[in-house]
Amino acid sequence: MGYSSALIQRKYKDIVGKRYESVLKEYGEFLLTEEELFVPEVRSILVPLDLFVHGITDEAIDVLSAYNATISLAYITDAGVLELLGQTLDRSSAEEFRAKKEEYGRQLLEQTAAKLEEHGLSTQTRMFVGHTGDDVVRMAKNYDMVALSRRYADGESADLSISPTVLRICQRVETPALIY
Amino acid sequence: METVALIAVAIFLFTYALIIDERIHRAVAAMFGAAIVVFIGIVPWEALLNHVDFGTIFLLLGMMIIVNTARGSGLFEYIAIRTAKLAKGNPIRVLILFALVTAFVSALLDNVTTVLLLTPMLLYVARVMKLNPVPFLITEIFASNIGGAATLIGDPPNIMIGSAAGLTFNEFLIHLGPIMVVNMVILLGLMYVIYGRSMKVSPDEQQKMVRTLNNLDERAAIVDRSLFNKSVAVIVLVVLLFFIHDRIGEILHIVLPFVDPAMGLEPAEVALIGAAILLFWSRQSPEEIFEKIEWPALFFFGGLFVIVGALVETGVIASIASVMIENIGSTGEAMFIVTWFAAIASAIVDNIPLTAAMIPLIQDLGTTMDVYPLWWALALGACLGGNGTAIGASANVVVIGIAEREGFGISFVEFLKVGMLVLFVTVGVGFGLLWLKFVV
Repeated sequence: MGYSSALIQRKYKDIVGKRYESVLKEYGEFLLTEEELFVPEVRSILVPLDLFVHGITDEAIDVLSAYNATISLAYITDAGVLELLGQTLDRSSAEEFRAKKEEYGRQLLEQTAAKLEEHGLSTQTRMFVGHTGDDVVRMAKNYDMVALSRRYADGESADLSISPTVLRICQRVETPALIY
Repeated sequence: METVALIAVAIFLFTYALIIDERIHRAVAAMFGAAIVVFIGIVPWEALLNHVDFGTIFLLLGMMIIVNTARGSGLFEYIAIRTAKLAKGNPIRVLILFALVTAFVSALLDNVTTVLLLTPMLLYVARVMKLNPVPFLITEIFASNIGGAATLIGDPPNIMIGSAAGLTFNEFLIHLGPIMVVNMVILLGLMYVIYGRSMKVSPDEQQKMVRTLNNLDERAAIVDRSLFNKSVAVIVLVVLLFFIHDRIGEILHIVLPFVDPAMGLEPAEVALIGAAILLFWSRQSPEEIFEKIEWPALFFFGGLFVIVGALVETGVIASIASVMIENIGSTGEAMFIVTWFAAIASAIVDNIPLTAAMIPLIQDLGTTMDVYPLWWALALGACLGGNGTAIGASANVVVIGIAEREGFGISFVEFLKVGMLVLFVTVGVGFGLLWLKFVV
């Protein structure tokens, strides 16, 4: 910092003191922040689903409707669970379990897609076996936003806390994340 | 020169060097210098009370109370949002409207508060327009200094000159008001020529900006509607009282016959009366308001008056005045010297200490010549000279400091290039108009 710049800073400090901070705070009450001023363009939204997600809430649909975006519904069957079942059950029982869960997934995808389309949203669906956390992080790179149910990859617990997998995904993805 | 006079000069120069450098708070530097001259008996107690201009200090105090009370209502944020909306997304309109509002508010309230409260909104508007805010901020600085120069209460040098010379609010308006109107027009023209090309936005961006600004609700800025109304009413009342402060007795005598028709109020009395009315009416906590008074500024002024008083007591000012009288042939010549010396010196020293030192000099010149035009020459030079450099006036330092904090550095040289141009053009025009009025 040159002499003139340091001199101005010294004079500024002596004349203004901490008054500017209080002025900024007063303005902050009603002016948009830098982040709020920048409205990101959202053209594609990834919505991961799994065994523990039973649908999408109306509030989430309201938010998603604000964007003119295509919603990609991805039902992920946890590969780790299937592997565990393969080790503990006989082959036919494991296949039967897998078929049942895939059927549930197909129905969930169809119902959710239909509900979203009722609200004028265009949808795409896909279903695969994979890792409920890592695969979402990987896929999110190709989307403008991720919308996650708080129950995703969690279990059937009755409390309202957010699933640890959801929190980990939010920490790792660079795209904006919506939790419903 | 006697030893005591040399000591007074040394203390004066040492203190002014400290004020220019500001490694020590200016108020502390001024108080320290004053303490030395009092301690060694150059300025005895009785003389100290004469040298401290309580008219200036109480006027500043009263206006600080009014402004700090009004601030809590959201009045200034309201003005800023209304101004931004009126610009309708056009950068040139933003430049012109903010400059005019800054000049107008600076003419009635202190420049530091004005720029402190308007700059965040100006930065916000520039951000929305995706334009470099520096041209807008530089224009705001010049507008604040020009607007402040138009009235007795607009800029500290004018307050000091008005109080020392017993000049009225209306005299300032009559002699300096028109000059500052002309200078504002010139300033806007200059800024357009210098920065106009960089202020282009596409119609899409302009629409986007209008939408963003229209989403701002100026009514949301009003924190306390009742205080807002009372603040506006008291500020209007105070301004009206300033217009008639020297002949208030004539008006009061009509309704209150016991009031002496010859009675007048000092500007400081008007400000303190306004402060008392606003505090009484608004029921704001006096502790909170008094805490916000800029006590360092008041002590800075007090210290300066004592240090300059030491030069008066030791005869230094009288010696300089006699040299000037011997070498100056006419009032016009004196006006020329005072105007340009004040303008160039206040770009370096800061116009407050410069004015403090010049006032007793002009008072001494009054023994042999008509100094009435010289007060206007001093006000013109001191106020507009502040535009010359980044440290010439408090408003410059505040805006440049804020800009730097927000990531938009304005270098000393960058400011100097435009500032010196504005200084020479506006002081030149102002001096020409004063010359026509008092010399031709």
